[in-house]
Amino acid sequence: MASEKLYEITAYTENQVGLLSAVAGIFTRRSLNIEKLLVYPSRIEGIHKFKILTRTDERRVKAVVAQMEKKVDVVKAFWEVDSERSHKEKEAVEDFLQHRENQSKTAL
Amino acid sequence: MKDKIGKKLSGAEILLEQLLVQGVDTVFGYPGGAIMPVYDKLYGYLDRLHHVLVRHEQGAIHAAQGYARIKGEPGFVMVTSGPGATNVITGVADAMIDSTPVVVVAGQVTTGLLGTDAFQETDLIGMTTPITKWSYQIRRAEDVAWAVSRAFYIAASGRPGPVVLDFTKDAQTGLAEFQPCHCDFIRSYVPVPEVPQTAIEQAAAMINAAERPFVVYGQGILLSGAEKELGDFLDKGDIPAGSTLLGLSALPSDNPHLKGMLGMHGSIASNIMTCECDLLLAVGMRFDDRVTGKLEKYARQAKIIHIDIDASEIGKNIPVDLGIVGDAKQVLARLTPLIEKRRRSAWEHRNEECDAVERERVCLPEIAPADGPVNPGEVIAAVAKATRGNAVIVTDVGQNQMLAARYSRFSQSRSFLSSGGLGTMGFGLPAAIGAKIAAPERPVCLFVGDGGIQMTVQELGTIMQEKTGVKIVLLNNNWLGNVRMWQELFFGERYSCTRLLNPDFKMLAAAYGIRCENVESREELAPAIERMLADDAPCILNVHVREESLVFPMIPPGKELDQIMLNTQDWYSYGK
Ligand SMILES: Cc1ncc(C[n+]2csc(CCOP(=O)(O)OP(=O)(O)O)c2C)c(N)n1
Repeated sequence: MASEKLYEITAYTENQVGLLSAVAGIFTRRSLNIEKLLVYPSRIEGIHKFKILTRTDERRVKAVVAQMEKKVDVVKAFWEVDSERSHKEKEAVEDFLQHRENQSKTAL
Repeated sequence: MKDKIGKKLSGAEILLEQLLVQGVDTVFGYPGGAIMPVYDKLYGYLDRLHHVLVRHEQGAIHAAQGYARIKGEPGFVMVTSGPGATNVITGVADAMIDSTPVVVVAGQVTTGLLGTDAFQETDLIGMTTPITKWSYQIRRAEDVAWAVSRAFYIAASGRPGPVVLDFTKDAQTGLAEFQPCHCDFIRSYVPVPEVPQTAIEQAAAMINAAERPFVVYGQGILLSGAEKELGDFLDKGDIPAGSTLLGLSALPSDNPHLKGMLGMHGSIASNIMTCECDLLLAVGMRFDDRVTGKLEKYARQAKIIHIDIDASEIGKNIPVDLGIVGDAKQVLARLTPLIEKRRRSAWEHRNEECDAVERERVCLPEIAPADGPVNPGEVIAAVAKATRGNAVIVTDVGQNQMLAARYSRFSQSRSFLSSGGLGTMGFGLPAAIGAKIAAPERPVCLFVGDGGIQMTVQELGTIMQEKTGVKIVLLNNNWLGNVRMWQELFFGERYSCTRLLNPDFKMLAAAYGIRCENVESREELAPAIERMLADDAPCILNVHVREESLVFPMIPPGKELDQIMLNTQDWYSYGK
């Protein structure tokens, strides 16, 4: 397809057994090839990070990221065209976790 | 319950205590080796937990689905490892795609044996991860209460769905101190996203600017309890609406804004209005291809707003002008005050011409034929009349399902139960059992084909044992009717492998001690229905219906919504 590009998907997750296969399944089901995969502890305490490179189009990368975020143990997921990567995600996740922390206090 | 708090209990007993904390009162289950410690403890809880012993684990999960959808609370299933667990998988997939809250606990071999191909070991987590909201293996008694409370929270919140807990045998027998858990927060999981006021205002402006807005709604209305909010919204804006299969009964059938069911076998009006509206407002639905027909042509003339609680649904199938990720009830409640009170009389009556054609050419020939064999739609219309729209209508899959959706009438919400997204034959009979247990005071009528009933017919044993007063209307055509129909219409009348040689259903019913009447003619039908509904005992009406029956209107698969077949020869003549 003409609009296919290399995308980098980043997901911040809880550190849970089985999440790798859950995430991989999202790609398999849409017959997307994973070009590169890294999983490691992020710079946020207790939060893991997935970096996945895949070649696809924008519509599908959006769908994949939405499916990833839908997993209970995924905190947040992002996508970027690989060649245009910025690095704003860590702050966004920290803001999100702070917001959720505040919400958990008001919930109780 | 109280006297157990702080005590050392086995994981098995903690499960049962925590189920009571969750408010569970019914267990649909089937025992076996790897779950026996729990069944042993259950012996002391049978006064508080009603265990329904099904005849096959698929029956347990479909019954739990029926229970959940009629009651609006999670259904609970308990099975053993290996084959017990794999037997529930069809129902888990069904619950996932139809957003049904169920929690399944399956036994698993002892942790030390995991990965050794031990007797009845199977990788249940691996198998169910893609078809659950959450799958988790409990390996320690200490984790039981936490995992169970989390499971119920996840299953029931946000867009509901199934959760599987794989419960190892040593976690069942191990001891831990029991502390009840109450999960209502998971930081990585946002079940009900907040909707910014700007999005509500933008939607209201689009609605107010529209001359011909059309609402398409789905099960999200029922799941969020937005029936009243939807009705108020339609009243204020004078806006017509169509329902998906699973949205049926959210509005009463006689609501003047309701133009019928959407999609392949929906009403002509609802499909034509989808093609003519200038604004399509989709609420709590997911644009299934049975609703949209050819995706690339779906409502292209209209602006589209999509409201759904599941962010991944927005833009998944249909590009939208405005997506709102939120709870249908909350969003509609905020939207209604901002829309103008208007009359849209001409547009509201757009359906009349379509309805007249549909009534003359499709409905009357189906439900009021002058002579010939009994039509399946005729049976459904007769039951609707006799129950005055107050029954819970359950269907199996096939022609029985589409006709039941078309010709049933509903006066209250949560009255229609059917396997939509997965289209699981065999769903109907066990789902009806669950529905009747959830709503014992209501009549529950199942419409099922002779093919589908035989997929889970063993559950007649459950009905016998539980004395579940399900009314089973068997639309018996001696074919796999829906497939036969497609063979007639699209495969050159080559009836490959769809003829059924059936058992004597009356004898089968007798073997289970269930009353059964054969209905062969039109004259016998109404009196037989009356006798069926006269009491609350289980009953089967084996109705011999027209064998070569077809369901119309029909938008053939892959066609656009204005290409509607009225019968084998004629198409709805539509010129825009
Ligand atoms: C488990 C399963 N297997 C196969 C199908 C495909 N299928 C859809 S409808 C149908 C025929 C149903 O026949 P019957 O139960 O007699 O009902 P009818 O259409 O005649 O009302 C079949 C085989 C299915 N939906 N589910």
